[in-house]
Amino acid sequence: MKCLVCNTDFMPKIDFLALFSPKKEKNSTMCPACWQKFHRLTGTRCPQCGREQEKSEICQDCQKWQRAYQGKILLNHAAYDYNAAFHDLMVSYKRYGDYILCQLLSELAKEDLVKLQFDYYVPVPTNPDHQQKRGYDTIWEIFNPLVPLTPLLLKKAGSGAQGEKNKKARMQAKQNFFLNPEFRGTITGKILLLDDIYTTGRTLYHARDMIWTAFPEVEIESFSISR
Amino acid sequence: MNEAISSKAGRQWLVDNLDHSTNQGQTAIPAVQKGCCQRCGSVCYARLPSGALYCRECVGLGRLDQGKYLVRQAASGTYPKQRGMTWTGQLRPAQAEVSQFLLEQFAKKKDCLVHAVTGAGKTEMIFPLLAEAFSQGKRAAIATPRIDVVNELFPRLSAAFGQIMVGCYHGKMEKEPAGEQLVICTTHQLMKYYQAFDLLIIDEVDSFPFAGSPQLHFAAQNAVKKTGSRVFLTATPPKDLEIAVKKGQLAEIRLKRRFHGGLLPIPKLDQYYRPFIGKKGLHPKLVKRIVQACQSGHPLLVFVPRISEIPIYLDLLKKEKGLAELKMAGVYAEDPDRLEKVQAFREGKLDLLVTTTILERGVTFKHVWVIIVAADDRIYQTSSLVQIAGRVGRDKDDQTGLVLFCYHYYTRQIQQAVKQIKEMNR
Ligand SMILES: [Zn+2]
Ligand SMILES: [Zn+2]
Ligand SMILES: [Zn+2]
Repeated sequence: MKCLVCNTDFMPKIDFLALFSPKKEKNSTMCPACWQKFHRLTGTRCPQCGREQEKSEICQDCQKWQRAYQGKILLNHAAYDYNAAFHDLMVSYKRYGDYILCQLLSELAKEDLVKLQFDYYVPVPTNPDHQQKRGYDTIWEIFNPLVPLTPLLLKKAGSGAQGEKNKKARMQAKQNFFLNPEFRGTITGKILLLDDIYTTGRTLYHARDMIWTAFPEVEIESFSISR
Repeated sequence: MNEAISSKAGRQWLVDNLDHSTNQGQTAIPAVQKGCCQRCGSVCYARLPSGALYCRECVGLGRLDQGKYLVRQAASGTYPKQRGMTWTGQLRPAQAEVSQFLLEQFAKKKDCLVHAVTGAGKTEMIFPLLAEAFSQGKRAAIATPRIDVVNELFPRLSAAFGQIMVGCYHGKMEKEPAGEQLVICTTHQLMKYYQAFDLLIIDEVDSFPFAGSPQLHFAAQNAVKKTGSRVFLTATPPKDLEIAVKKGQLAEIRLKRRFHGGLLPIPKLDQYYRPFIGKKGLHPKLVKRIVQACQSGHPLLVFVPRISEIPIYLDLLKKEKGLAELKMAGVYAEDPDRLEKVQAFREGKLDLLVTTTILERGVTFKHVWVIIVAADDRIYQTSSLVQIAGRVGRDKDDQTGLVLFCYHYYTRQIQQAVKQIKEMNR
């Protein structure tokens, strides 16, 4: 096996439980040394967004949202710390367009995502211009192999990428999503929004706002691979 | 500057399709041919959802997809014929000998390997060669795997060749090419050139990532004109170049003496049986060695294999009574304060620096001594060990010093490093 991150050959570890289980686990796309660079969010965390911190109180970002949304904070589930390894991975996947890394991101998302039971999984849409240029939708490709996706939202063309903005500009970013006109029918039950990175929460709150304009009753939470 | 020289002379770049006809002097080729990337030579295996192959190895330079084209601008146009050298220094006899050899091989269009000990003054030796190439209106490049070396070479070469246009290119800067007659760049940047140079000098060929990368070798081959020649500079020749020397494809010259004429310090070997870090802290013998080195008044570099070990060693060292008075710090590649710490160490404001292989080459500290903890770790190639040892005794007023390899297992790399150093001293 060749590691998707560092390109070295490695022996996939043999898990005897997996060997005898009826469902064969797919081999990992990353070598053990590279796995060590990714840090799972396990310690004390913000109960609302999953951010790792000293205290288990609501973090500053979430306090801001609490005020802005009169207490209706979005509950976000996050799996990995946004550290240097994760940053580098996203640079390769999004800026350079190294498409095959979607396999690795799926792998990172999988363990936590399969534990969450929702009626609809709505990917956060990406800019159609960037999609055209890269040849793929960065979010869709990660989550499509894991859960059935409902393309409820679209993003306006020409709206800048979040990654290129600083924190303040991100918080002030305008609503760029709209409801997919091709989606017909109604939604009842619970929606899980899917994104790669939770930075300020701005994007996910906008996504929720837009869904609520059409389906105000629906319950919405979110999942981000990293926080 | 001569108008005939296009700013894009000898460059190659990607285009999505060929709807506009290529200009004069340009050729376009399919970017992927027979499944191979035409920019770096790698076999493409990853596919986009469209089914098109793309190259992962050189993806940082702009993704090269099957269906795209590489446009290549011919290296036409000649530069003014002038030596352009403003350097007035004198080469020492040993350096002059190497320099003369390079001139002879260049006239014969033969590729060369210069095997020079660390601290031999390699850069000055290539000045006459560059001047000769420029006097014939030729174009040259100096490429090296490491950005810090590029940044160090650029001002030196700009000063030495005041009448030549010198360009500096690496991945951390965005700059449009200007067709400079002398280009200083990282080996990665060579992928942006196609048959551009009459003379390509590759410095530190033994260092990562060049040594292990077929893509960079491919690029180094492609960047030179068919009629051009290449010079490889190194303190520890990699295997493939030694083989090329044996086959007669490469002319080799050795420079065994340092700039000041002195010998290389021979590493002292120090074997351990118990772990370097035990239940009660650092191994007492290791502590003793460090204390002794520091008491001698020399600034000390302590090399550890991994970044994660730097704070551990630093904490333990700070707890040692014998070292309580010392000012120490740790530094690693992505350290935001890297430059400041290195500068503080250079100025004597720090007595001891715990570091990883980032400081193995290119940097000079007066009077420095070095200790390598876990010299048997697999991250130390022979060339790294030789380079680290080469940090010591570079000053003409202080030609000796301590190089200590601490290890549990006497590895082949340790053995080879010591052997090479002794050979160069003969
Ligand atoms: Zn790996
Ligand atoms: Zn929070
Ligand atoms: Zn390539």
